Amino acid sequence: MDGMNMDRSELKDSARKAFGEAGLAPDKSASWAKLTEMGWFMMTVPEAQGGLGMGREAMGVIHYELGRALVPGSAIAQMLVIEALAATGQNDLLERAMAGEVMTTNLCNALDADTASHILLVSDDSIALAPVASSTHRVTWDETRRLFDATAGEQTLLASGADAAALANRLRAQLLFMLAADSLGGAEAALTMTIEYLKTRRQFDRPLAMFQALKHRVADLKIAHRAAEALLWDRAVGEPSLAEMGALKAHCTTAYARIAEETIQLHGGIGLTQEYPCHLFLKRAFLNCALGGDADYWEEQAGRFAMENLA
Amino acid sequence: MNIELEKLRTEVRNWLAANAPKDWREAATHDVFVAGQRDWFKKLVAAGYAIPHWPAAWPGGGRSLAEQKVIYEELARADAPRLLLSFVSTYHAFATLHECGNDEQKARYLPRIMEGETWCQGFSEPGAGSDLAAVKCKAELKGDVYVINGQKLWSTMAQYADKCLLLVRTSSEGAKQAGLTYLLMDMKAPGVTVRPIHQIQGDEEFAEIFLDNVEVPVSERVGAEGAGWAVAQATLASERGLTLMELGYRMRGNMALLTRAISDTGRANDAGILRDLGRLSAQVDAVCALADQFLDNRMNGIEQVGDASIVKNAYSRALRAWSDFGVRIGGMDAQYRQGITFGDLNTGNWMADYMNSFAWTIAGGSEEVQRNIIAERMLEMPREPKGWTA
Repeated sequence: MDGMNMDRSELKDSARKAFGEAGLAPDKSASWAKLTEMGWFMMTVPEAQGGLGMGREAMGVIHYELGRALVPGSAIAQMLVIEALAATGQNDLLERAMAGEVMTTNLCNALDADTASHILLVSDDSIALAPVASSTHRVTWDETRRLFDATAGEQTLLASGADAAALANRLRAQLLFMLAADSLGGAEAALTMTIEYLKTRRQFDRPLAMFQALKHRVADLKIAHRAAEALLWDRAVGEPSLAEMGALKAHCTTAYARIAEETIQLHGGIGLTQEYPCHLFLKRAFLNCALGGDADYWEEQAGRFAMENLA
Repeated sequence: MNIELEKLRTEVRNWLAANAPKDWREAATHDVFVAGQRDWFKKLVAAGYAIPHWPAAWPGGGRSLAEQKVIYEELARADAPRLLLSFVSTYHAFATLHECGNDEQKARYLPRIMEGETWCQGFSEPGAGSDLAAVKCKAELKGDVYVINGQKLWSTMAQYADKCLLLVRTSSEGAKQAGLTYLLMDMKAPGVTVRPIHQIQGDEEFAEIFLDNVEVPVSERVGAEGAGWAVAQATLASERGLTLMELGYRMRGNMALLTRAISDTGRANDAGILRDLGRLSAQVDAVCALADQFLDNRMNGIEQVGDASIVKNAYSRALRAWSDFGVRIGGMDAQYRQGITFGDLNTGNWMADYMNSFAWTIAGGSEEVQRNIIAERMLEMPREPKGWTA
């Protein structure tokens, strides 16, 4: 697999260039156009199906950068639909999705269903695709994502039985991995912003960054972030179980929530205002915690997995 | 997959299967454990696995970091005894002599170290812990010997050591770092008294060293008089990444002690316990991945200042969490005192493991000092102004 040997930093540089220069939470349609133009929707699709044949690691790099810049939109849903269409040989729809036609899925609360042509319906015994019949926007605190209650039109069955179960698990694992990557990207940006603020903000005739009480908190956040990131790239290769991906997601989203919380606290009063972007990280972090199964759920699953596999 | 590395891995794995002692945890006293350590070191030297980081001129030396990593991965995997007794000699003393020693010193000591001579480190003092440059132990030049008076503390296994890497004060003028000198001291010299420290869990891994008019020849000085701080940096910069990787792998390898204890106490379906187990398991996996990444970065020449501190704190926190969870699972049983296992951090003797874990949050640069390094050197947060006086 090319993806395994790909130069992660090269892809990171181009993604950072694409999303890092328009500021936080950049324009949604311009971001979507960039994702399409750069061919990132086709990243993990096999070359035989018109994709780039890259691995999970490459996908992680992109979502890390999307999280870092708080890019709005439904790239996570799009990539899940693409994965399902590629796996079930729906090449016409696959081509349309790779070209940027918005499609969504019930796996992540029908993100952007109002602009989506289709919705992928995933359950343990069937995977189906259907046109979106209707959608009701459920406004979330996180304004960088738009969630919907959606209804589906006539369904086309893509997989059933054991095939569906296997594909559903693969899609769930992918969702968990993308959320973990998005979280660590966001956490990195929030932490960097916080450190810069502490260096600038002066009280008691010195920068806040000089106080050891704050240095130690920041150092602990840095350690938490680095450890989580090492785990992310470790699980980007090989075949981790769904429970292991769940543990990764729990670990990374928990780190993000902690860093986002400290971002507000360490910015003081200004962190409570909409004028400053601290709240954007906090809101996205907490949505990431809730999407795709929360830490309570996945940590319990990971515990069961450990009981069976580490006895 | 690198073929040469995998060949080495197989070779080491086969050798360990045939040669690694299985009964090392059964040592009833620290002395028995240390005797086992000496034997184990000799066997590893003969097999060519004891000093892989030394230059190629030495038997078993000249190994790349990738090869060294394979050896330590296999030592952890085989659950072989850790190389505790020889660590200061093969890493700290070697690095010091290699970087800063003169030819005569290298020729005299490196062969002895390979033959099993044991060294200890005389750096810390009652008044110089985190603030190492505050060393007070005094050395006065009289003719061709330094006369040493003072006290050293927290010296790992000094009671078994033949030689000591000694940091002393030769001047109190100027910056406190500038008055330090580095000596190699014979532990059998008259005036040296060693007293083992009784640790809270019953081990005696560290000792105090009292120095009363001890004479050290000038020829045993490493570097110039007053250059001790720089030489000490060479000592302290010697390998830490491999150890943390090895210890991380050993902790992960011993997760089964926790899962078995959970089963044995009938809590395999307790959601709260399972959650904490799942969380811990990810934390331990993250530490292993972090140590791996640290070594990869070092191999690729992109290690950054502070990276080692991040790995150390992540490991020591995970070790605390690991053993703390064990104490919780153990309940009352963990409170009944049992004999300790020497040379092992993850034994399932939960209270002992828990108490032992403090060595990693305190020794070798405390958690707090590591946080300062991360904040000030890596994240470039400004230092506090100096000059405070009581």
